[in-house]
Amino acid sequence: MANTKEVVNGEEVTLEIEPGMDILEVNKQLAQKNMKLLRKHNVKAIDIMGSIGAGKTSLIEKLVQALKQKYSIAVFKGDLTTTIDADRIGRHGVQVLTINTGRECHLDANVVARAVERISLEDIDLLFIENVGNLICPAEFPLGTEKRVVVVSVTEGPYMVIKHPFTFMTADVMVINKKDLAEIMKIDTEQLKKQVKDINPDVKVAVTNALSGEGVEELIKALEL
Amino acid sequence: MTTQIIDSVLEEAKKQDAKKVIEVHLIIGKMTFLGIEQVRFAYNILVEDTIMKGSKLIIEEQDGTIECPSCGYKGSLQFEDDPAYHVPIPTLRCPKCGKAAKIVEGNECTIRSIRMLK
Repeated sequence: MANTKEVVNGEEVTLEIEPGMDILEVNKQLAQKNMKLLRKHNVKAIDIMGSIGAGKTSLIEKLVQALKQKYSIAVFKGDLTTTIDADRIGRHGVQVLTINTGRECHLDANVVARAVERISLEDIDLLFIENVGNLICPAEFPLGTEKRVVVVSVTEGPYMVIKHPFTFMTADVMVINKKDLAEIMKIDTEQLKKQVKDINPDVKVAVTNALSGEGVEELIKALEL
Repeated sequence: MTTQIIDSVLEEAKKQDAKKVIEVHLIIGKMTFLGIEQVRFAYNILVEDTIMKGSKLIIEEQDGTIECPSCGYKGSLQFEDDPAYHVPIPTLRCPKCGKAAKIVEGNECTIRSIRMLK
Protein backbone atom coordinates (compact mmCIF):
# COMPACT_ATOMS: atom_id res chain seq x y z
CA MET A 1 0.00 0.00 0.00
CA ALA A 2 1.33 3.40 -0.95
CA ASN A 3 2.04 5.93 1.78
CA THR A 4 0.24 9.19 1.20
CA LYS A 5 0.77 12.65 2.61
CA GLU A 6 -1.53 15.57 1.98
CA VAL A 7 -0.38 19.18 2.18
CA VAL A 8 -3.12 21.80 2.13
CA ASN A 9 -1.95 25.15 0.81
CA GLY A 10 -4.82 27.57 0.34
CA GLU A 11 -7.19 25.94 -2.12
CA GLU A 12 -4.71 23.45 -3.55
CA VAL A 13 -3.98 20.08 -2.10
CA THR A 14 -0.65 18.49 -2.92
CA LEU A 15 -0.55 14.79 -2.50
CA GLU A 16 2.64 12.84 -2.20
CA ILE A 17 2.38 9.11 -2.64
CA GLU A 18 5.12 6.53 -2.35
CA PRO A 19 4.11 3.61 -4.51
CA GLY A 20 7.56 2.04 -4.31
CA MET A 21 6.78 -0.10 -7.31
CA ASP A 22 9.58 -1.62 -9.35
CA ILE A 23 8.79 -1.38 -13.05
CA LEU A 24 11.24 -4.18 -13.89
CA GLU A 25 9.70 -6.32 -11.15
CA VAL A 26 6.67 -6.99 -13.35
CA ASN A 27 8.85 -8.82 -15.85
CA LYS A 28 10.80 -10.58 -13.09
CA GLN A 29 7.56 -11.88 -11.54
CA LEU A 30 6.25 -13.06 -14.90
CA ALA A 31 9.57 -14.80 -15.50
CA GLN A 32 9.21 -16.58 -12.15
CA LYS A 33 5.74 -17.67 -13.19
CA ASN A 34 7.04 -19.02 -16.50
CA MET A 35 9.78 -20.92 -14.70
CA LYS A 36 7.32 -22.46 -12.25
CA LEU A 37 5.00 -23.56 -15.04
CA LEU A 38 7.84 -25.04 -17.11
CA ARG A 39 9.30 -26.84 -14.09
CA LYS A 40 5.90 -28.24 -13.23
CA HIS A 41 5.86 -29.89 -16.65
CA ASN A 42 9.51 -30.94 -16.38
CA VAL A 43 10.47 -28.73 -19.31
CA LYS A 44 14.01 -27.40 -19.28
CA ALA A 45 14.11 -24.01 -21.03
CA ILE A 46 17.19 -22.28 -22.37
CA ASP A 47 17.39 -18.63 -23.47
CA ILE A 48 19.89 -18.05 -26.27
CA MET A 49 21.05 -14.47 -26.70
CA GLY A 50 23.65 -12.88 -28.93
CA SER A 51 24.26 -10.35 -31.68
CA ILE A 52 22.73 -10.52 -35.12
CA GLY A 53 24.72 -13.03 -37.16
CA ALA A 54 26.59 -14.53 -34.20
CA GLY A 55 25.28 -17.99 -35.16
CA LYS A 56 22.43 -18.52 -32.70
CA THR A 57 20.13 -20.22 -35.22
CA SER A 58 22.90 -22.41 -36.66
CA LEU A 59 23.81 -23.50 -33.14
CA ILE A 60 20.20 -24.33 -32.31
CA GLU A 61 20.00 -26.38 -35.53
CA LYS A 62 23.04 -28.35 -34.41
CA LEU A 63 21.73 -28.72 -30.85
CA VAL A 64 18.40 -29.96 -32.18
CA GLN A 65 20.11 -32.49 -34.46
CA ALA A 66 22.25 -33.78 -31.61
CA LEU A 67 19.51 -33.89 -28.98
CA LYS A 68 16.26 -34.73 -30.73
CA GLN A 69 16.60 -38.46 -30.03
CA LYS A 70 17.11 -37.84 -26.32
CA TYR A 71 14.58 -35.02 -25.81
CA SER A 72 11.28 -33.92 -27.21
CA ILE A 73 12.18 -30.38 -28.28
CA ALA A 74 10.32 -27.17 -29.06
CA VAL A 75 11.90 -23.89 -30.17
CA PHE A 76 10.66 -20.32 -29.83
CA LYS A 77 12.27 -18.05 -32.35
CA GLY A 78 12.24 -14.32 -31.62
CA ASP A 79 12.63 -12.05 -34.62
CA LEU A 80 11.34 -8.64 -35.61
CA THR A 81 9.90 -10.00 -38.84
CA THR A 82 9.81 -13.13 -41.03
CA THR A 83 9.86 -16.85 -40.29
CA ILE A 84 13.13 -17.45 -42.17
CA ASP A 85 15.04 -18.72 -39.14
CA ALA A 86 12.05 -20.63 -37.78
CA ASP A 87 11.78 -22.44 -41.11
CA ARG A 88 15.46 -23.36 -40.92
CA ILE A 89 15.00 -24.95 -37.49
CA GLY A 90 11.64 -26.48 -38.42
CA ARG A 91 13.32 -28.55 -41.13
CA HIS A 92 14.84 -30.67 -38.38
CA GLY A 93 11.43 -31.98 -37.43
CA VAL A 94 10.81 -30.11 -34.18
CA GLN A 95 8.01 -27.78 -33.23
CA VAL A 96 8.97 -24.13 -33.85
CA LEU A 97 6.97 -21.09 -32.89
CA THR A 98 7.96 -17.70 -34.28
CA ILE A 99 7.60 -14.70 -32.02
CA ASN A 100 7.64 -11.68 -34.31
CA THR A 101 8.21 -8.68 -32.10
CA GLY A 102 7.58 -6.12 -34.86
CA ARG A 103 9.74 -3.36 -33.42
CA GLU A 104 10.91 -4.64 -30.08
CA CYS A 105 14.60 -5.45 -29.75
CA HIS A 106 14.16 -8.25 -27.19
CA LEU A 107 11.76 -10.90 -25.93
CA ASP A 108 10.21 -10.44 -22.50
CA ALA A 109 8.57 -12.78 -20.00
CA ASN A 110 5.10 -11.70 -21.15
CA VAL A 111 5.49 -12.68 -24.82
CA VAL A 112 7.11 -15.93 -23.75
CA ALA A 113 4.16 -16.66 -21.42
CA ARG A 114 1.80 -16.15 -24.36
CA ALA A 115 3.91 -18.41 -26.57
CA VAL A 116 3.99 -21.10 -23.86
CA GLU A 117 0.17 -21.14 -23.89
CA ARG A 118 0.27 -22.16 -27.54
CA ILE A 119 2.34 -25.29 -27.13
CA SER A 120 1.56 -28.50 -25.35
CA LEU A 121 3.98 -28.67 -22.44
CA GLU A 122 3.08 -32.30 -21.82
CA ASP A 123 4.61 -33.20 -25.16
CA ILE A 124 8.02 -31.59 -24.71
CA ASP A 125 10.88 -31.68 -22.23
CA LEU A 126 13.33 -29.20 -23.74
CA LEU A 127 12.62 -25.68 -24.98
CA PHE A 128 15.13 -23.45 -26.72
CA ILE A 129 14.19 -19.78 -26.87
CA GLU A 130 16.21 -17.86 -29.41
CA ASN A 131 16.11 -14.21 -28.43
CA VAL A 132 16.12 -11.29 -30.86
CA GLY A 133 19.61 -10.64 -32.25
CA ASN A 134 20.91 -8.04 -29.82
CA LEU A 135 23.66 -8.19 -27.23
CA ILE A 136 22.22 -5.59 -24.88
CA CYS A 137 18.46 -5.33 -24.24
CA PRO A 138 17.59 -9.05 -23.88
CA ALA A 139 19.85 -9.27 -20.84
CA GLU A 140 17.55 -6.90 -18.94
CA PHE A 141 14.55 -9.18 -19.35
CA PRO A 142 14.78 -12.67 -17.84
CA LEU A 143 12.28 -15.02 -19.48
CA GLY A 144 12.02 -17.70 -16.82
CA THR A 145 14.51 -20.13 -18.34
CA GLU A 146 16.80 -22.52 -16.44
CA LYS A 147 19.86 -21.25 -18.26
CA ARG A 148 20.91 -18.26 -20.30
CA VAL A 149 23.42 -18.59 -23.09
CA VAL A 150 25.23 -15.71 -24.79
CA VAL A 151 26.68 -16.42 -28.22
CA VAL A 152 29.51 -14.27 -29.55
CA SER A 153 31.44 -14.96 -32.71
CA VAL A 154 35.06 -14.16 -33.48
CA THR A 155 34.03 -12.03 -36.45
CA GLU A 156 32.54 -9.51 -34.04
CA GLY A 157 36.02 -8.52 -32.90
CA PRO A 158 38.03 -8.93 -29.70
CA TYR A 159 36.05 -6.59 -27.45
CA MET A 160 32.57 -8.12 -27.37
CA VAL A 161 32.90 -9.20 -23.75
CA ILE A 162 34.43 -6.14 -22.15
CA LYS A 163 32.13 -3.82 -24.07
CA HIS A 164 29.02 -5.60 -22.76
CA PRO A 165 29.90 -6.63 -19.20
CA PHE A 166 26.33 -6.48 -17.88
CA THR A 167 25.09 -8.93 -20.50
CA PHE A 168 27.76 -11.48 -19.56
CA MET A 169 26.93 -11.12 -15.88
CA THR A 170 23.50 -12.59 -16.59
CA ALA A 171 24.83 -15.57 -18.56
CA ASP A 172 25.35 -19.15 -17.42
CA VAL A 173 27.13 -20.20 -20.59
CA MET A 174 29.08 -18.24 -23.20
CA VAL A 175 29.63 -19.65 -26.67
CA ILE A 176 32.51 -18.39 -28.79
CA ASN A 177 31.37 -19.30 -32.29
CA LYS A 178 33.06 -19.39 -35.70
CA LYS A 179 36.24 -20.80 -34.16
CA ASP A 180 37.45 -21.76 -37.64
CA LEU A 181 37.78 -18.05 -38.42
CA ALA A 182 39.64 -17.11 -35.22
CA GLU A 183 43.06 -17.25 -36.80
CA ILE A 184 42.05 -15.25 -39.87
CA MET A 185 40.35 -12.67 -37.64
CA LYS A 186 43.41 -12.64 -35.33
CA ILE A 187 41.24 -13.40 -32.31
CA ASP A 188 42.63 -15.17 -29.27
CA THR A 189 39.69 -17.18 -27.89
CA GLU A 190 41.63 -17.79 -24.65
CA GLN A 191 41.70 -14.03 -24.10
CA LEU A 192 37.91 -13.85 -24.57
CA LYS A 193 37.52 -16.69 -22.06
CA LYS A 194 39.69 -14.89 -19.54
CA GLN A 195 37.72 -11.66 -19.97
CA VAL A 196 34.37 -13.32 -19.37
CA LYS A 197 35.69 -15.21 -16.32
CA ASP A 198 36.92 -11.90 -14.89
CA ILE A 199 33.41 -10.50 -15.13
CA ASN A 200 31.52 -13.66 -14.19
CA PRO A 201 33.69 -16.39 -12.59
CA ASP A 202 30.87 -18.98 -12.74
CA VAL A 203 30.22 -18.80 -16.47
CA LYS A 204 30.97 -21.88 -18.58
CA VAL A 205 32.53 -21.42 -22.00
CA ALA A 206 32.18 -23.49 -25.17
CA VAL A 207 34.14 -22.76 -28.35
CA THR A 208 32.25 -23.86 -31.44
CA ASN A 209 31.91 -23.92 -35.18
CA ALA A 210 28.15 -24.07 -35.62
CA LEU A 211 28.39 -24.96 -39.30
CA SER A 212 30.55 -28.04 -38.88
CA GLY A 213 29.20 -28.90 -35.43
CA GLU A 214 32.63 -28.75 -33.81
CA GLY A 215 32.37 -27.89 -30.12
CA VAL A 216 28.62 -28.55 -29.93
CA GLU A 217 29.25 -31.52 -27.61
CA GLU A 218 31.16 -29.15 -25.32
CA LEU A 219 28.14 -26.82 -25.34
CA ILE A 220 25.74 -29.67 -24.56
CA LYS A 221 27.93 -30.56 -21.58
CA ALA A 222 27.99 -26.93 -20.42
CA LEU A 223 24.19 -26.88 -20.63
CA GLU A 224 24.05 -30.12 -18.61
CA LEU A 225 21.86 -31.76 -21.27
CA MET B 1 10.43 1.26 -20.31
CA THR B 2 9.68 4.96 -19.99
CA THR B 3 6.18 4.32 -21.34
CA GLN B 4 5.67 1.77 -18.59
CA ILE B 5 6.93 4.23 -15.97
CA ILE B 6 4.52 6.90 -17.22
CA ASP B 7 1.59 4.49 -17.47
CA SER B 8 2.19 3.43 -13.87
CA VAL B 9 2.38 7.03 -12.66
CA LEU B 10 -0.81 7.94 -14.54
CA GLU B 11 -2.57 4.95 -13.05
CA GLU B 12 -1.57 6.01 -9.53
CA ALA B 13 -2.66 9.59 -10.28
CA LYS B 14 -6.03 8.35 -11.52
CA LYS B 15 -6.53 6.33 -8.35
CA GLN B 16 -5.98 9.52 -6.34
CA ASP B 17 -8.19 11.64 -8.63
CA ALA B 18 -5.29 13.99 -9.25
CA LYS B 19 -5.59 17.03 -11.53
CA LYS B 20 -1.91 17.25 -12.22
CA VAL B 21 1.31 15.42 -11.51
CA ILE B 22 4.05 17.80 -10.43
CA GLU B 23 6.97 15.60 -9.52
CA VAL B 24 8.10 12.02 -10.12
CA HIS B 25 10.99 10.54 -8.20
CA LEU B 26 12.58 7.43 -9.70
CA ILE B 27 15.32 5.14 -8.44
CA ILE B 28 17.25 3.50 -11.25
CA GLY B 29 19.79 0.81 -10.44
CA LYS B 30 23.22 1.12 -11.99
CA MET B 31 23.05 -2.54 -12.97
CA THR B 32 20.04 -1.99 -15.23
CA PHE B 33 20.41 -1.19 -18.90
CA LEU B 34 18.49 2.04 -18.55
CA GLY B 35 20.20 5.21 -19.72
CA ILE B 36 19.31 8.18 -17.54
CA GLU B 37 19.64 10.62 -20.44
CA GLN B 38 17.37 8.49 -22.62
CA VAL B 39 14.74 8.05 -19.91
CA ARG B 40 14.67 11.83 -19.46
CA PHE B 41 14.44 12.43 -23.20
CA ALA B 42 11.59 9.94 -23.66
CA TYR B 43 9.82 11.18 -20.51
CA ASN B 44 9.58 14.75 -21.74
CA ILE B 45 8.09 13.63 -25.05
CA LEU B 46 5.71 11.03 -23.62
CA VAL B 47 4.17 13.27 -20.93
CA GLU B 48 3.25 15.93 -23.49
CA ASP B 49 -0.50 15.18 -23.77
CA THR B 50 -1.03 13.97 -20.23
CA ILE B 51 -1.59 15.48 -16.79
CA MET B 52 2.15 14.86 -16.24
CA LYS B 53 3.12 17.61 -18.68
CA GLY B 54 5.65 19.95 -17.11
CA SER B 55 6.27 17.64 -14.16
CA LYS B 56 9.72 17.48 -12.61
CA LEU B 57 11.57 14.21 -13.02
CA ILE B 58 14.04 13.31 -10.29
CA ILE B 59 16.26 10.32 -10.97
CA GLU B 60 18.30 8.83 -8.15
CA GLU B 61 20.85 6.19 -9.08
CA GLN B 62 21.26 3.07 -6.97
CA ASP B 63 24.71 1.49 -6.75
CA GLY B 64 25.18 -2.20 -7.36
CA THR B 65 25.48 -4.44 -4.29
CA ILE B 66 26.63 -8.03 -4.38
CA GLU B 67 26.37 -10.90 -1.94
CA CYS B 68 28.67 -13.91 -2.06
CA PRO B 69 26.98 -17.27 -1.48
CA SER B 70 30.37 -18.87 -0.76
CA CYS B 71 31.84 -16.62 1.95
CA GLY B 72 28.92 -14.35 2.85
CA TYR B 73 30.56 -11.09 1.74
CA LYS B 74 28.03 -8.35 1.17
CA GLY B 75 29.07 -5.03 -0.26
CA SER B 76 29.45 -2.87 -3.28
CA LEU B 77 30.13 -4.31 -6.67
CA GLN B 78 33.79 -4.41 -7.65
CA PHE B 79 35.26 -2.95 -10.81
CA GLU B 80 38.27 -3.83 -12.89
CA ASP B 81 39.79 -0.41 -13.17
CA ASP B 82 41.94 -0.66 -16.26
CA PRO B 83 42.42 2.81 -17.76
CA ALA B 84 42.37 1.27 -21.25
CA TYR B 85 38.68 0.45 -20.78
CA HIS B 86 37.65 4.08 -20.32
CA VAL B 87 34.75 2.99 -18.11
CA PRO B 88 35.58 0.59 -15.24
CA ILE B 89 34.38 -2.95 -16.01
CA PRO B 90 32.13 -4.41 -13.31
CA THR B 91 32.82 -7.91 -12.04
CA LEU B 92 30.81 -10.46 -10.09
CA ARG B 93 34.05 -11.77 -8.59
CA CYS B 94 33.85 -11.64 -4.79
CA PRO B 95 36.62 -9.38 -3.46
CA LYS B 96 37.06 -11.63 -0.42
CA CYS B 97 37.14 -15.17 -1.80
CA GLY B 98 37.23 -14.72 -5.60
CA LYS B 99 34.15 -16.84 -6.29
CA ALA B 100 31.08 -15.61 -8.14
CA ALA B 101 28.74 -13.36 -6.16
CA LYS B 102 25.08 -12.50 -6.83
CA ILE B 103 23.67 -9.05 -7.47
CA VAL B 104 21.26 -8.05 -4.70
CA GLU B 105 20.83 -4.34 -5.40
CA GLY B 106 21.11 -2.18 -8.48
CA ASN B 107 18.73 -4.14 -10.71
CA GLU B 108 15.68 -2.02 -10.00
CA CYS B 109 13.71 0.78 -11.57
CA THR B 110 11.43 1.97 -8.79
CA ILE B 111 8.90 4.78 -8.62
CA ARG B 112 9.86 6.12 -5.23
CA SER B 113 7.32 8.91 -4.99
CA ILE B 114 4.87 10.98 -6.97
CA ARG B 115 3.69 14.48 -6.04
CA MET B 116 0.40 15.56 -7.48
CA LEU B 117 -2.27 18.24 -7.23
CA LYS B 118 -5.78 17.20 -6.30
